[in-house]
Amino acid sequence: MSEALVKPLRAVRSRTYASAAGAGVLLALPFYLDRFWLQAGLFAMAAAVGAIGINLLTGATGQLSMGHAFFLAVGAYGYCVFAADGGDGLTGLGLPTWLAAVLAVLVAGVAGGLFSPISGRLSGAYLGIATLALVFIGQHVMFNAHDLTGGANGRDVPPLSLFGLTFDDRELLVAAVPFGSAEKLWYAGLVLLAAGALFARGVLRGRPGRAMNAIRDHRIAAGVLGVPVARHRAAVFVLSSMYAGLAGVLLALVFQRTVPDYFGITLSLEYLAMIVIGGLGSVSGAVAGAVFVSLLPQLLTRYSDALPLVSAPGTGGIAPGEASRYLYGAAVVLVVLFLPGGLVGTAVRRRGTTHPREER
Amino acid sequence: MIRTHGARAAAGALAALLVLAGCSSKAKESGGDGDRADAGGVKTRIGISGKTITLGALTDMTGVYATLGKSVTQAQQLYVKQLNAAGGVCGYKVALSVRDHGYDPQKAVSGYTELEPKVLGFTQFIGSPFVAAVKQRIDGQDKGLVLPQAWSAALLGSPYIRVIGSTYDIETMNAVDFLIKEKGVKKGDRIGHVYFEGDYGESALVGSKHIAQQAGLTVVEQKIKPTDNDMTAQVTALKQAGVKAIVISAGPRQAASLVGVAAASGFAVPVIGNNSAFAPQLLATQAGPALMKNYYVASPSLPIGADTPQAKKLVADYRAAYPKDALDNGIVAGWTAVSAFGEALKKACASKDLTREGVDKALLSIDSYDIGFGVAQDFTDPKSPSSHESVILQPDKNVTGGMKVVREAGASEAAKSYTPGA
Amino acid sequence: MSTFAEILLNGLSLGSVYALIALGFVVIFRATEVVNFAHASLLLAGGYVTAVLHDDIGFWPALLAGIAGAALVGAAVEFLVMRRYRGSDHSVLAIVTIGVDILLTTELTRRIGTDVLTLGDPWGDAVLKAGPISLAHTRIAAFVAAALLITAFLLAFRYTAWGIAMRAAAESAETAALMGVRLGRVSLGAWAVAGGLAAVAALFLTVFPTPGLERATSLAALKAFPAAILGGLDSTTGALVGGLTVGVTESLATGYQSDLTFLGRGLGDLAPYLVMVAILLVRPAGLFGTKELARV
Repeated sequence: MSEALVKPLRAVRSRTYASAAGAGVLLALPFYLDRFWLQAGLFAMAAAVGAIGINLLTGATGQLSMGHAFFLAVGAYGYCVFAADGGDGLTGLGLPTWLAAVLAVLVAGVAGGLFSPISGRLSGAYLGIATLALVFIGQHVMFNAHDLTGGANGRDVPPLSLFGLTFDDRELLVAAVPFGSAEKLWYAGLVLLAAGALFARGVLRGRPGRAMNAIRDHRIAAGVLGVPVARHRAAVFVLSSMYAGLAGVLLALVFQRTVPDYFGITLSLEYLAMIVIGGLGSVSGAVAGAVFVSLLPQLLTRYSDALPLVSAPGTGGIAPGEASRYLYGAAVVLVVLFLPGGLVGTAVRRRGTTHPREER
Repeated sequence: MIRTHGARAAAGALAALLVLAGCSSKAKESGGDGDRADAGGVKTRIGISGKTITLGALTDMTGVYATLGKSVTQAQQLYVKQLNAAGGVCGYKVALSVRDHGYDPQKAVSGYTELEPKVLGFTQFIGSPFVAAVKQRIDGQDKGLVLPQAWSAALLGSPYIRVIGSTYDIETMNAVDFLIKEKGVKKGDRIGHVYFEGDYGESALVGSKHIAQQAGLTVVEQKIKPTDNDMTAQVTALKQAGVKAIVISAGPRQAASLVGVAAASGFAVPVIGNNSAFAPQLLATQAGPALMKNYYVASPSLPIGADTPQAKKLVADYRAAYPKDALDNGIVAGWTAVSAFGEALKKACASKDLTREGVDKALLSIDSYDIGFGVAQDFTDPKSPSSHESVILQPDKNVTGGMKVVREAGASEAAKSYTPGA
Repeated sequence: MSTFAEILLNGLSLGSVYALIALGFVVIFRATEVVNFAHASLLLAGGYVTAVLHDDIGFWPALLAGIAGAALVGAAVEFLVMRRYRGSDHSVLAIVTIGVDILLTTELTRRIGTDVLTLGDPWGDAVLKAGPISLAHTRIAAFVAAALLITAFLLAFRYTAWGIAMRAAAESAETAALMGVRLGRVSLGAWAVAGGLAAVAALFLTVFPTPGLERATSLAALKAFPAAILGGLDSTTGALVGGLTVGVTESLATGYQSDLTFLGRGLGDLAPYLVMVAILLVRPAGLFGTKELARV
């Protein structure tokens, strides 16, 4: 009896130390890593925020969405429109940048809400492909609504400024280390990711989370039990769009320019790959998958010269870019086939503390 | 309790790491970042270590511009090899660091971020949206010379990003000028313009509209996407509109389809395309005969099969180095760019300044640089492309590279008097 | 008027090719409930085999080889990958097909390189002229071939043992298995059939008026998504109607783009999706799809 009480406490304590050490390392990284790695990390953080959003929708509620790229674009371009001062001839409202970021996230949510006649009614593959339409509509608008989006070459992203600190490339010396935009944004990214993760965990562990899982597992039974199915579906869609919008704002800040080519169907599919690889339905799964999917191609390209079987371009062998595509494709297939439950689900099972909710 | 625990631990860890940060290799040491001078008194800074100058190339060998990227990159690698065999620059060997971004914005920006601290400049950067994405950084603090393989007027104006050869708008004006002077298009006529969505096509459209206004023509627009491969609907619409000639600012496949469909349905108007709207591989397809009969291409330089000693040498060397690969105008484009970069390096060496500023300045002093492809490049004005001239070519499968010259280099009146962005 | 007829006929023939792709897509979905993102690479594989072989063995044998090749690739994907998945979540399997697609497409584009491959078809750039209307022979051939294949397939679906097994599996996999239907064989067959259909589609996507097979050809498979959905994912008739709708919509939106400039130019790609969304708003299961009924 007492043993049963002590054990979890010890587990909790060791987990606290581990996460504290992890947090410490994350906080210190900008002092050591060069800009390439920080930028890669920021891409991963933005992806993680977006992946949490889509995991709420697809993983926890069972609603397949391939339109995530569209909502990322709404966030990214929305931020530019609200924050820019119109100096480059494009529409800009010149609002304070923090307000612009908040509004951009809200607009992404509104966009998700406008789609609710479809998202509330359809499910499965139908919803997935219907949301694909959003990506095509988005691309069309991005290329054609020149005043808002700047057309094919995109538009500049005004740097975020908060409490007098501007997240731009002007160097700021912290403990003798020069801080550029990547170093400063790193902390903003960490804060946003942590806040997003905690909120999503709250949703999943509370009443709404149980309702969402009920809809995923048996929609009709959920309805009979008194869960307002259509309203919940539409609401989750809105929430997930807002996460995507936030990810879009963060990405725009890292890129320093929004380009329409980025927000295509490939991006949507990458987000789906993230949550499947990481683990459906859990926040940690989304984060793990996002890190995996967004860092792997970067690593493979970075060290492409050192990969085996790779030859210099023009000699007829496998080019570095191709090698990284092969490995990426194989990784997606192998992880899904041999690690059911994703990276996180498998790790949890290995530790022998399988918990029904985390396994999903 | 758990929370205070965690916070305390995190705070402690942070404090410890802040102290450690002092030993970070990123920390600025006084004087460590300044200029160095080598034994010969040449100033150097970023992009040179030991006895090697490193240059970057951000290319696309696995994405939509794979055909262009491969030719450009191989031509540039060939140049670097020959340059090193001839002794390099200032006693330094030159190395080319190639990153294939596969036309993915994230990889392109990452590639730039990775290479930027290590290279003197970029001999190649494919994808004008990606160049635009890092433009702030190039103009703001990096200041390395970047030669994009994109001919968009939107990239002009920066002293560091230098477009080589005429931009698409100017090239299109020269193309329409050819239609007017040689193909009987006259005042009051309509011309069709089929163009890609995006920077390339829209830049070209600005050009065709500009010259059409001057010459009293009407442009009938047909916008397409890179995924459209069948031009039947476009041809039908243009036929209906009664156009006398067609300009195409798209890819080789679309041009082949357009010309083939027009010819097969007896709609025999002349078609002229931009430099990117042709690939020699097309001559072996069914569209080949129609292309040779009724298709022209405006190009910023003579074709790879040009009758000049330099072109012949390049063909021979390239064939020896890459026997299996097609000879196309991407080779000329890559070669021209890397030669201009090489020339700037040599000049910078002569003035004993191999820093980024030195190379930028050296390029600005080159006002008439001809590598034997018929067009002299003038790099003195960052606001204008290095040339306003275009050569008009016609596909011909009996010629090396599949193109012969039908009008020598020249700039139309419209192109000469045109200021981009105005 | 003649312009309209020409645009319409072109749209119909293009639509029949899309219908072939969409049909394969629907067959896989019916048999296994998987949304197949690897369809694009099956298409490319079929076209590639035909393109490589036609010089040596002639066009018709090469086409047969292409169909067989793509069917084999499809079956291999089912046997080597899909079957290994032990879970039950179909959206997870859809992700696996994304990985498969990346692998296959990378390999095929590496082989194709920067070439444009011709398939050596007998129609060339011949054009049939009837009064003011001209229509390429390849377009007529596409329409006829698609019509024949789809009819044959619908008959097989209705009357052969394989077709009945497949329909039974689609109704209820568990019951079908209890009744002695070998589910593995059904899904293997579905993947092979889808591959074969995609190979035929590849042929008609790469002959005149398009220059030939090259690395971007597979993108046409994206058109099959709206086609399959607006017809109804589990309906073979729906795939046919959906394909034709997408073809005609695309063709009309392109042919009349000068009259539609208020929507922005270059609508061809987008129009099918707009039509799809409009249809889904009225009929959430597509035109011919079965409404989801469930017993509680």
